[in-house]
Amino acid sequence: MVADGLKFAALVAVLSGLMIHATQGLGYHWQWYRIPAYVVSTTPAGIVFGPLLRGLGVTLQITAVSLVLAFLIGLTTALMRLSGSILGRLAARTYLELVRNTPLLVHIFFIYFVLSPVLQLSAFASAVLALSLFEGAYASEIFRAGILSIHRGQWEAAFSLGLGTWRTYRLVILPQAVRHILPPLTSQAISLIKDSALVSTIAIYDLTMQGQAIIAETYLVFEIWFTVAALYLVITLALSLTVAIMEKKLTVKR
Amino acid sequence: MNRLRVLFMAAVAIAIMFGVSGVAVSADLQQKLVEESTIEQVAKRGLLRVGMSTFVPWAMTDKSGNLIGFEIDVATRLAQDMGVKVEFVPTKWAGVIPALLTGKFDVIIGGMGILPQRNLKVNFSIPYDHSGVAIVAHKQLAGGFSRLEDFNRSDVTVVARLGSTSAAAANKVLPKAQKRFFDDESQLIQEVLNGKAHALLAGAPLPAYQALKYPDRLFLPLPGTFTKEPIGFALRKGDVDTLNFFDSWIRVVEAEGWLAERKHYWFETNAWESLLK
Amino acid sequence: MIHRKPTITLIDVWVLLALLAAAAFVAYRVRVGLNYHWNWGALPQYLLRYDPQERLWVPNVLLQGFFMTIRLSIWATACATLIGVAMGLLRVSRSRFKRMAAAGYVELTRNTPPLVLVFIFYFFIGDQLLSTVNLEAYLRGQSPAVQALLATLLAPPGRLTAFLSAVLTLSIFEGAYITEIVRAGIQSIEKGQREAAAALGFTRWQRLWHVILPQAVPRILPPLAGQFISTIKDSAIVSAISIQELTFRGMELMSSTYLTFETWITITGLYFVLTFGCALTVERLELRWRRQRA
Repeated sequence: MVADGLKFAALVAVLSGLMIHATQGLGYHWQWYRIPAYVVSTTPAGIVFGPLLRGLGVTLQITAVSLVLAFLIGLTTALMRLSGSILGRLAARTYLELVRNTPLLVHIFFIYFVLSPVLQLSAFASAVLALSLFEGAYASEIFRAGILSIHRGQWEAAFSLGLGTWRTYRLVILPQAVRHILPPLTSQAISLIKDSALVSTIAIYDLTMQGQAIIAETYLVFEIWFTVAALYLVITLALSLTVAIMEKKLTVKR
Repeated sequence: MNRLRVLFMAAVAIAIMFGVSGVAVSADLQQKLVEESTIEQVAKRGLLRVGMSTFVPWAMTDKSGNLIGFEIDVATRLAQDMGVKVEFVPTKWAGVIPALLTGKFDVIIGGMGILPQRNLKVNFSIPYDHSGVAIVAHKQLAGGFSRLEDFNRSDVTVVARLGSTSAAAANKVLPKAQKRFFDDESQLIQEVLNGKAHALLAGAPLPAYQALKYPDRLFLPLPGTFTKEPIGFALRKGDVDTLNFFDSWIRVVEAEGWLAERKHYWFETNAWESLLK
Repeated sequence: MIHRKPTITLIDVWVLLALLAAAAFVAYRVRVGLNYHWNWGALPQYLLRYDPQERLWVPNVLLQGFFMTIRLSIWATACATLIGVAMGLLRVSRSRFKRMAAAGYVELTRNTPPLVLVFIFYFFIGDQLLSTVNLEAYLRGQSPAVQALLATLLAPPGRLTAFLSAVLTLSIFEGAYITEIVRAGIQSIEKGQREAAAALGFTRWQRLWHVILPQAVPRILPPLAGQFISTIKDSAIVSAISIQELTFRGMELMSSTYLTFETWITITGLYFVLTFGCALTVERLELRWRRQRA
């Protein structure tokens, strides 16, 4: 096992060496010493968050709001698809097909440049709307799969006790579906964080946009992009780990 | 089986060593290539690759999908005089310098303003044009604003193109205002038209054009430009021959009067507008 | 889950009311708030234009971008499949080092925003492909017929390096997902198969080639098709590195002509047609194939 670990370390070393060779051929000279100022700095007034960390804050803000909205949209759409209503199913299906067959980038541009002048949305609202509509479509599939995985017997028992559809969902089905739904939903949260990088295209000052603004001024291209990637990785890898732990604890042993 | 495994791993190790040293050797060769001038390579290739971005009227796409504009004319004439063909590589303006540095094209001929910060990364030819940053504002939101200082408040939003001299000017002159930078001109104009930003900073004559086009919603708070900057070709560092060639060429076409004539056509007449739509 | 037949219920009424209200609101706002001069007449020429020299209708900027998107997606999925299969096999190997290496690739790629990956890889890979500049010179020297063929299959010689960089970047990104698909497919083959093959005296490679893979491949194909469709959508991201696919071409068009609304609506429509069309085709093929095997 130690040998494997050493081999892995060697691989990483070789790859990094190749990368450095590549950039030297470009005539690029690294200036890593300039980066910490953009992340965090200590002033007489105390610790000040640099533009990159502020951008990360905005990213987390957008992600949190979009996650809640996506959750609501996803649950509603799943319930509509599973209901007996014709229009409900049609509306849900149309929404899903429209959203899943167009790129998120185009959604963001479309909502911001076409819909928001019509509906008077702010940039933040447009971004949140685009992200929640997109991720909501995938979340609805997760909810639907979770609900369908509950055994038919549960439904029959609930009905025989006199519970209506709505109360069955609320008291019987959804609480049980949670353990099937939570891990994939957390993976969806990870996707949301990654996709939130695209809101930089409408000049919302999230982590990616801050990175681009700094690069446009200072041309510290590779240093900034690697730092930005590292910051995203910290959040997403932490969430990935959570998913792995959750899956172990929540999986029903057959 | 064990011996085979060891032999295999030894072979892989040797391959890696050769691979890495091969890269090192070719990196040496690459340094030599970089030392060889760009014009030599262009002449050998028979093609000049030019990086630019859409900036009306410096460079735009016409109805047939071809590029037209002041910069296009300059680059085409340059290639003609070098005896090679020209090819344009439309690039997002914010990434045009990294693209030049990583060899995606030979030179940037796109209305690039000479800025000291840029000069630290690329070399500039002598100026072949001059431009300035002008400002156009939303009539209702910025009504009554008549000086730059009026915009320098934290409740004012201004927009400019990411990576442009206008963006640098916005950072410098309006430190308190909220600044948002987009990649494309059409997006910037939409922002102001939709009332999401108070003003747009851009190289003249764009602000003036837009004020003429939408007189009910836009106006010019300041007449003319409030900065003046030289425009030059941008090329990679360490290339004296190419720099000298471009400088001399600019002097020649300037003496001819050709540059002034082209500038007048594109910036002071409207004759080319019908080509666009 | 109790399945019920679709009927008119109270929910229908609510949905209908909500949709009508939304439509009315949008229509009202368009009439009152929007000061946009629609010019749909100017748009079709950017899809197809009549070339007087060739006497043909040729695709103009938007359709050219559309075809570039298709080419990018096909080549990227092909390369990503190669990467994915190789990495997928590594993921299930017995050597912990190989598993770690492949897992490292997958986790790193899947946890970084695609936009950031694209920026990083494009500027790195670009220089490595400097050698293809010689390839470029060679290709430019070829006959117009060869160049035309290349332009249809890949990209015109001038854009070839950028195209290859974009393809490689997209493949590395999509490859991580295909790795997981391959891994899941291989691991879904029940242990009994592996044990039986081992009992019959197959070596590891023979087991893989003759027993595991032939059963795994049919399970991998449907998610693979889904990944192709994802690639079509992800290809829009490479517009950030100025690759001339549909989104980039559209944005350049809008910068010259200011036909903002019309262009965005057309671009959305084109993507929808492409992706939905592919999704339907895949569904049909899957159904037919399942019927054949049953």
